[in-house]
Amino acid sequence: MHNVVIVGAGPAGLSAAIAAAAAGAPVLLIDSNPRLGGQYWRLPSDNFGDQHDQHFDLDTGLLLINAVKDRKEIEIYSGAQIWSATHKDGINTLRVLHNGVEKIINTGNLILCTGAYDRTLPFPGWDIPGVMTPGGVQSLLKGHGVLAGKKVVVAGSGPFLLPVAAGVIKAGGEVVDLLEANKSYRWLLSPLVLLENVSKLKEAFYYIKTISEARLRARFGQAVVAAHKGSDGSLESVDIATIGRKFKIKKIRNVKCNVAAIGWGFTADTSLAGALGCKQSVAKDGGVVVVADQDQQSSIPGIFVAGEITGIGGSELSMAEGVIAGISAAKFVGCKVEVLKAHRKRRAKKQRFANALIKSYPVKAGWISWLNGQTVVCRCEEVSVDNLKYAIDELGATDSRTAKLLTRCGMGLCQGRVCGRSVVDLVAAELNISPSDTDRFSAVNRPIISPIPLGVLAKGE
Amino acid sequence: MSQFNIEFTFDGEKIDAITGQSVAAALAANQRTLRKTRFNNNERGVFCGIGVCFDCLVVIDGITNQRACLIEAKPGMKVQTQVGSDA
Repeated sequence: MHNVVIVGAGPAGLSAAIAAAAAGAPVLLIDSNPRLGGQYWRLPSDNFGDQHDQHFDLDTGLLLINAVKDRKEIEIYSGAQIWSATHKDGINTLRVLHNGVEKIINTGNLILCTGAYDRTLPFPGWDIPGVMTPGGVQSLLKGHGVLAGKKVVVAGSGPFLLPVAAGVIKAGGEVVDLLEANKSYRWLLSPLVLLENVSKLKEAFYYIKTISEARLRARFGQAVVAAHKGSDGSLESVDIATIGRKFKIKKIRNVKCNVAAIGWGFTADTSLAGALGCKQSVAKDGGVVVVADQDQQSSIPGIFVAGEITGIGGSELSMAEGVIAGISAAKFVGCKVEVLKAHRKRRAKKQRFANALIKSYPVKAGWISWLNGQTVVCRCEEVSVDNLKYAIDELGATDSRTAKLLTRCGMGLCQGRVCGRSVVDLVAAELNISPSDTDRFSAVNRPIISPIPLGVLAKGE
Repeated sequence: MSQFNIEFTFDGEKIDAITGQSVAAALAANQRTLRKTRFNNNERGVFCGIGVCFDCLVVIDGITNQRACLIEAKPGMKVQTQVGSDA
């Protein structure tokens, strides 16, 4: 049957599938999206015509997607939800909902390429319709040909804000403001890293060209610190603050807009790896990632990991890791194949760029001062800052897990995917301590990978 | 977007969409509030757009808690604002 099972069909998963298949291993590729490509190469259905406008390098994506589709050794489950994953005696058991049917997959050889999603921070009004993640705005554009709104503020931190702003402009929207919370595009100060990653420089200039043609200038050291709704209950304006190095507010102006796309980098989606028991670590930015060795193998033999879940690094690093993971997994199942020095060199180069980036876009603790007592922290369970403070100051919670149990913060449908990371920071700040790694891990690990109808559980064994 | 080829309803109003578009995408142009929360009755809409946040929940053909950003619009679908958990 299937020798290598791969989860996720973005840059890492596609690269892994091709590498493993090329080495002679049959592959089963499981993906939650209806179409291959992941978030980076998100494609709409065939009814939307040419999509190159919304992508910097769609050709690479189409090349990989078509190569995967063309190979007979690769079977694809698109639109599949893995809701449970367990590991026992070298065998991984995945329970997958695909086309309305539950399938149980047992495999000793797994490659996890589950990617990442936008990191968000809570602030007053962030739950108002119209406040979105940059990834959300981009997914509507790339996947559905829809502009989320005519007047858009793009804010937060990190290089991902550039393609989102450029995408809005290309689709005919107005970017009212483009705000980077940190002081400048500081990675430009790492010339050596840039010189060896010229493609990244080209990508940045590709977006900057669109942005400057629209006579838009990015503003640095500014952030959206509050959102206000109009009479219809949806977004009408945002408060934009000039902030200091530690993100403390200096002065505020109000700007009218109907969409605010706000993101602070990415959070790796480690749920599946966590459920299987793969060792995790805390990255420099406080995010939880999965530990991988030189061959992209996790702490569990036979489970390989590649792409954003091993550390946020972008599509090119994901592809480099994916190739190595694919080769390693094929070797694990007995194919005669070796990871080449060239593969490792390519990965190291992309890794140096990713390291420079993560250092350049820190999220400073001052964001906590933007919140007030009524600010919603957990969107699902509608838990406020005051609710959390009550659990700590009056009920004696001394860590985020206890605060969560006492408030239901992070226990709603999204299972803390949106607020979990921020709750750890908020609780630690209230207690005036540094968050422990245990707190960080418990905020991302969850028994059910993806919520499913209870009927499915009832029908099971 | 010009080539609308399907129709569904949102709270009884006719909505145009293109095959392959999600319910959330088809609604994005003019309907930003998709649900009201259970405790504070606050408006919510599309937030993450990729199935992570569960904020774009709507009722589709009588079934609650459907993520509008993940479900493809189909002709004749009856989509409704979800109020509370609507269970």
